Amino acid sequence: MPGPIGPDEVRGVVRPALELPGVDGVEVLFMHEWGGLTRFADSAIHQSTWSEDTGLRVRVVKGGRIGVAATNDFSGDGARKAAETAREIAEVVAPDPEFPGLAPPAPVAERADAYDEATAATSPEHRAEAVAALVAQCSDGFRASGAFETMAVEVGLANSEGQFCFAPSTQASLTTVINGGEGGNGFAEVFDARVDQIDPEAVGRRAAGKARDGQNPRDLDPGTYRVVLEPSAVSTLAGFLAYMGFGGRMILEGRSCFTAKEGQSVAAPSISIYDDATAPGTLGIPFDFEGVPRRRVDLIVDGVFRGGVYDMRTAKQAGKGSTGHALPPPNPEGPFPLNLFMEPGDATLEEMIAATDRGVLVTRFHYSNIVHQVESTITGMTRDGTFLIEDGEVKYPVKNFRFTQSILEALQNTAMVGRDTELASEFFFSASRVPALAIERFTFTGRSDH
Amino acid sequence: MLEVAKQAVEAAKRGGADYADARVVTAETESLTVRNQEMEGVDRSTSEGIGIRVLVNGYWGFAATARLEDADIARTAEQAVAIAKAASRLPREPVELSAVEPAVATWHGPMQEDPFTVSIEEKVALLMEASRRMQLVKGVAFAESSLDFWRDRVRFASSEGAAIDQTTVHSGGGIEATTVGEGELQRRSFPNSFRGHVAAAGWEHIARLGLLEEAERTATEAVELLQAKECPSEVTKLVIDSGQVELQIHESIGHAVELDRVLGMEESYAGSSFVRPDDRGKLRYASDLVSIMADATLKGGLGTFAYDHEGVPAQRVPIIVDGLFQDFISSRETAPVIGQTSSGAMRADGWQALPLIRMTNVSIEPREGTLAEIIGDTKDGIFMSTNSSWSIDDHRVNFQFGCEIAWRIKDGRLTEMYRNPNYTGITTEFWGSCDAVGGREDWMLWGTPNCGKGQPSQTARVGHGAAPARFRDVRVGVR
Repeated sequence: MPGPIGPDEVRGVVRPALELPGVDGVEVLFMHEWGGLTRFADSAIHQSTWSEDTGLRVRVVKGGRIGVAATNDFSGDGARKAAETAREIAEVVAPDPEFPGLAPPAPVAERADAYDEATAATSPEHRAEAVAALVAQCSDGFRASGAFETMAVEVGLANSEGQFCFAPSTQASLTTVINGGEGGNGFAEVFDARVDQIDPEAVGRRAAGKARDGQNPRDLDPGTYRVVLEPSAVSTLAGFLAYMGFGGRMILEGRSCFTAKEGQSVAAPSISIYDDATAPGTLGIPFDFEGVPRRRVDLIVDGVFRGGVYDMRTAKQAGKGSTGHALPPPNPEGPFPLNLFMEPGDATLEEMIAATDRGVLVTRFHYSNIVHQVESTITGMTRDGTFLIEDGEVKYPVKNFRFTQSILEALQNTAMVGRDTELASEFFFSASRVPALAIERFTFTGRSDH
Repeated sequence: MLEVAKQAVEAAKRGGADYADARVVTAETESLTVRNQEMEGVDRSTSEGIGIRVLVNGYWGFAATARLEDADIARTAEQAVAIAKAASRLPREPVELSAVEPAVATWHGPMQEDPFTVSIEEKVALLMEASRRMQLVKGVAFAESSLDFWRDRVRFASSEGAAIDQTTVHSGGGIEATTVGEGELQRRSFPNSFRGHVAAAGWEHIARLGLLEEAERTATEAVELLQAKECPSEVTKLVIDSGQVELQIHESIGHAVELDRVLGMEESYAGSSFVRPDDRGKLRYASDLVSIMADATLKGGLGTFAYDHEGVPAQRVPIIVDGLFQDFISSRETAPVIGQTSSGAMRADGWQALPLIRMTNVSIEPREGTLAEIIGDTKDGIFMSTNSSWSIDDHRVNFQFGCEIAWRIKDGRLTEMYRNPNYTGITTEFWGSCDAVGGREDWMLWGTPNCGKGQPSQTARVGHGAAPARFRDVRVGVR
């Protein structure tokens, strides 16, 4: 099947767009994605797919006016036509007084380990074997569902200022929910740039163990509890902080929970959060979608908010430099951190449980959403493994809770931070590398029947 | 391009497929956003490609590509077959498809004026004026207006002989005023939140929305919300407008009756459903005032078409009749599992995606009375309008919704305004407490253009006809 396109061909294809006459500037964002996903339910493969697509997104600047057009016609003709459409748009819209210009040429670090040929070329047979190995971890009466995806991405950015950057990368992810017996669910997931780092048996064992431990969940009254959140649950808090708070545009416009809080304590001193697409342990590309090199940005250090992330437009407004966090144009939401890390602490999960007199152990959250943006309050459900902790031990599984909780308040009440981190997904957002957290007070406002 | 789809089907059959279908899709989108009378972005996109789906010995395979040369199509068909063969590594009951008469048809959704031919200047002028009118209201921080247009042409061919060429055009627009205070942010939007009201129609839909006429009121309410009290925490009678009933139906009925969820096929991602196959005709889902239909034949809905993406004709399916659960929305694969034929609900998000069971137009049947009459008939309660947030558990049981604005109802009149209102409940208890559903006068066919499902994640545009409704003993003001 088709493989990488490579930077040389991309340069050739985008050239007709960059040479568009009668404009002040042109930027072409190139994306090529290919890969397969093997989806399973009831311990059998029920949906299995493969796809390949190539996209060109052209931004044209004319007299401070911006037009954007996109196509998946990956040819010189396709690039030229998209550029002409973008020019037509730019000729009739109002100017953007805050337009900062296109990104100047700047070197971008290469991530040699980001692309793995074997991952890009993973066969459906390989994925099916892995799913079979995972399913084999289910005890009688239990069944597994989930997805095993192997994909490759090439991203390139070329503009008329002379910037050209290109990054291939791969990603393998395996996620599962195992359920059965008397109503217990278990969950596990793993991500890596290399498919050979995915251990399906380990993923299956972990989820199967949770499902066994979760049998016969009991009712527990909603209320405020000490909680131990596993990394998958913490990733929801991190993801929503990114969505509601860390973007420079939201901060500037007073819509963020971090507006006017630079230099202030917003979390316990044990909490530090940063974004770094170039660090090991995440799946990132080393430049943003306007061609600015990405770099580490410290967001919260020892509980103190240091600042947000910026693209070129919001950086100009803020009088700062871009941190390399632009999303593809046009982007009304502004910049966004895609590769969050929460610094680990020194506690094991067992130590967090042992230090809890009475509390709730949460595996992950489900379908969370905003309640109050400026207060960083969200609501959502627990899912796939929720347990009562008493006297330092996990006592029994409980039915799922609805939580309604301010994230910053939870982080302020953090008592312990896990020493191990995991790259964990969130329903709506990109994955964050985070530890488990023990939080003194966390509010459950309702419960479900399972 | 229909010939290309047929060519792909033939290639798949030659490769060993027992059944094959293919969709060549050409998708066009246009999106415009203005904020504070400045352009936030104008974006036009086109995407074209083919998705080939095969059954080999009862196992599915699917492969998709944007490359439409003969060799690429043959290679992609082979890949789909290889994927299906690999799926047999884990034995399961072989897929059996419910019967369908292969259709040969061409269909265009109704549209009076093609929105893609309306000039950008005219669109921008409308958005600028709407933004300007909102900005005239003192205290508005952000005055945003937006338009979105989609055109999808789907050519479907199957090894059973179907050959269908369908085109749909969807148009939407909305305005939103935002106010920012000390630790507080309030939004008010019109006609609905999250970029407005989308319908299966052309530019004539935008002209009817009344974005300019409602700009001042929308902005004024956003300003007033900053000074309003928090919605109190209590258990009360709740009246919700048709826009919120829309999302209540979507999350707590529409998704819950998708048969693939019920059968566990979505378990690991968005979850399953509390509804079971043998609940048909038995489960008391709602009060006897509530009847819900899934109707793909409804004029103007985002879930309106002639044939679904399996070539099954559009249908009108009773989901709940007088409170009693009747039926699911289904596919050719899932329907036979419960002894039925497909309800015609399979749609894919573009050529790249495998068709999934998606809501069509899942709507509440109108009863009697206007919104004003329902409020007038309420001695004490809360009225909430316009969705701002949603969350529901993985079995579609426990939900919580936020709305943009609320008022206290006292002796049949709206009195004090509240900000940050929300409510929570349990699906069947909540619908069982419904004691009023509005009539045709305030019934509205809304669009939900951002319905997520599946892995890889797909977004569908679905429709919901909704009337204002009232519910007893609802917990509001959750904090």
